[in-house]
Amino acid sequence: MVHALRRAGQRLQSGGSLISIRPHRTLLPSVSVLTPSRRLPVARLTTPGFDGRQAAAEAALARVVEEGGFTLAGVRNGRFRARLDNLSQVRAYLELIAPPRPRFPPGGRATLIQLWRSQPRGSTIEIAESIVVTALRRR
Amino acid sequence: MPAALDISAYPPDGMEIRLIERFTALKGRRILEVGCGDGRLTFQYARTAAQVLAFDPDRASIEEALDEQARLGVRNVAFRLGSVEHLPARGAPFDVALFSWSL
Repeated sequence: MVHALRRAGQRLQSGGSLISIRPHRTLLPSVSVLTPSRRLPVARLTTPGFDGRQAAAEAALARVVEEGGFTLAGVRNGRFRARLDNLSQVRAYLELIAPPRPRFPPGGRATLIQLWRSQPRGSTIEIAESIVVTALRRR
Repeated sequence: MPAALDISAYPPDGMEIRLIERFTALKGRRILEVGCGDGRLTFQYARTAAQVLAFDPDRASIEEALDEQARLGVRNVAFRLGSVEHLPARGAPFDVALFSWSL
């Protein structure tokens, strides 16, 4: 990762921006059931095998700043939501996420199924995810 | 075969561009995109950028990006199979290097 950042930096003009967009390391995806009148939180998905990669990305960005080639211009978080109509769409949605995919914590999927089956027509399932944008400026 | 679902596990179009433009404009800039995949994000900003060089190591993704480029008629993007490590150290400079979900 550090090598990729250094190589990109070699081709950036002075004052140019290096931008990294990636999933947020600690704001994990969350699943809720939305009824016409309320939001019922179900679970935060876990991201096994992913935390190490995200930590490495953060360390690589910090490294190239420490080396002096870049300054930190800023960090911004963003959050987005997908509204799904049924349980099979939840399965399809999680399949779309690049590996390693998030997983339900123990009991989380059963809780979702139980909650979903007891909700009125017109309810939806929401998956909310967070991303982080880090901006570096080439010296 | 079930109908394809119209769902995406990526942010809605425009969200990432708005976040990026908190830090730098993309309009009129020379942009290096690392890990462009099928060009999902590339095509959101390409029409306003000056030039784009977009890399991805996945051949199928680059082929999808090239198909979409032909369909959209976008002429200022060069999609390349490979990784940024293969980018020559010398060459025309870029204004922005974008690592889109690729670190």
